[in-house]
Amino acid sequence: MLEKTYRSMNAQIEPGQELINDTIELMRQQSRHVKHKTRPMLRRPIVAAAMFVLCIVLATPVLAANVPAIYHLMYLVSPDVAQFFAPVQKAYEDNGIRMEVVSAYIHDSTAEIYVTLQDLTSDRIDETTDLFDSYSINRAFDSAATCQLVGYEKETKTATFLIRLTEWGNQDIAGSKLTFSIREFISRKTSLEGVAVGIDLGAVGEAEAVQTVDALGLSGKNIGSFAGDSGGHVMLVPGDTLYTPTEGLEVTAIGYVEGMLHIQLATSEKLTLDNHGYFYLVDQDGNQIQSDYSVSFAKGLDSDARVDYQEFVFDIAPDEIEKYSLRGSFWTSGLRTEGSWRVTFPLLVSE
Amino acid sequence: MQEWSQCTATAESVVREYAHMVYRLAFAQVRSKSDADDIFQEVFLRYVRNDPSFASEEHRKAWLIRVTLNCARKYWASAWRRRTVPLDDCYSFSMPEESGLDEALRVLAPKYRAVVHLFYYEGYSTAEISKALDIRESTVRTQLTRARAQLSKILKGEN
Repeated sequence: MLEKTYRSMNAQIEPGQELINDTIELMRQQSRHVKHKTRPMLRRPIVAAAMFVLCIVLATPVLAANVPAIYHLMYLVSPDVAQFFAPVQKAYEDNGIRMEVVSAYIHDSTAEIYVTLQDLTSDRIDETTDLFDSYSINRAFDSAATCQLVGYEKETKTATFLIRLTEWGNQDIAGSKLTFSIREFISRKTSLEGVAVGIDLGAVGEAEAVQTVDALGLSGKNIGSFAGDSGGHVMLVPGDTLYTPTEGLEVTAIGYVEGMLHIQLATSEKLTLDNHGYFYLVDQDGNQIQSDYSVSFAKGLDSDARVDYQEFVFDIAPDEIEKYSLRGSFWTSGLRTEGSWRVTFPLLVSE
Repeated sequence: MQEWSQCTATAESVVREYAHMVYRLAFAQVRSKSDADDIFQEVFLRYVRNDPSFASEEHRKAWLIRVTLNCARKYWASAWRRRTVPLDDCYSFSMPEESGLDEALRVLAPKYRAVVHLFYYEGYSTAEISKALDIRESTVRTQLTRARAQLSKILKGEN
């Protein structure tokens, strides 16, 4: 009852078209402004750069060779605050991979932390290295955290990540201890973005077989309008492979269900290699139409033969579908590396 | 050095794709049209400023959820202080039970509103909410249980 009322209530809440248009215009203006602003800032960091490099080099001569690369990254990512980062330089090595917390900076209620991963024995770390969902940050305060790959240095096989923590409860986070740990990462990722999918939409008819599934996840711009309030969702029954965008991803069914186009993407190794993708339509004017909603479900949960499915649903009538072409973007990974990397360090305010 | 752009999309297409998701989440937090409008613009302006890159649309959505919630935090205090919200700053819902729930959500502690919205509207599992909000899954379950209990009390007029 609560869910049904909550959904129907939210379906009536929407941003006004004027707000959307104004926001897009503001974004355009800001985009132009940001481009103009970046160049004059080049002079400012010279002193900061000298201070920062000097500080690190004096503190740890062994790491001096890596300092310019890290500084360069810090300047690129956070040009205004690069000089305020305090060195941390705590490292942990496992499975031939060295993880180092290089530096941290606290401002207001936010902590920014640079972490590097370096492969000391082979080539498991590359420019596509992704911590996936395998990292965790233990701390004594409520916060939101993001972890973003900001650079890769081929010569040293080192990937650099920036972690941003934002505290939520008006607590002073300076001095807090924080533990950053990683249990696995993926690399050798490939991507196919905005590629044509070799399926003739004009030949798509009514679905041959459907099933009711319990969704593991729901998403999409019109999920409130179309996805039912009950637990079950009517989806296609997986069939033979109709199209393979890339290894590890397969279109296993397509068809109309209750007047809406369903396209099913089967994913092997979704949980271990983060293989995933999505579809969209392109009309005759080149406009992209995203799915109205998508439903994720799986077969063989908790087994080695688990296959994850995501079904994309478009509210396009069958007699209109010939006016559209099907495209998609797909990501797969070639390597997963496991280990246990863990560093505990205090969040200190730089002088 | 490499420029990272693993899942590119124009800013305009991102606004159009996620406008409803961001706005509804913002409104769920502050329950005021004007504050939701401000948060909506701030989220997408931050998107332009930060120019983030993502491995997938799921990651992009997760980023937008986090930023929306962060932006909403600074509106909580002022929203809490106001005892009344102007009528033109509220929605007139079509069913009485929707209006009742809206009123109840105004009374519900702000920290519970995010988990309620992500669970009941975005269809996230508690594990997915745990990842999105970066809090323990047990905390998500506790917050959901408490939120349901609080809402039930408020709707019964016990609060």
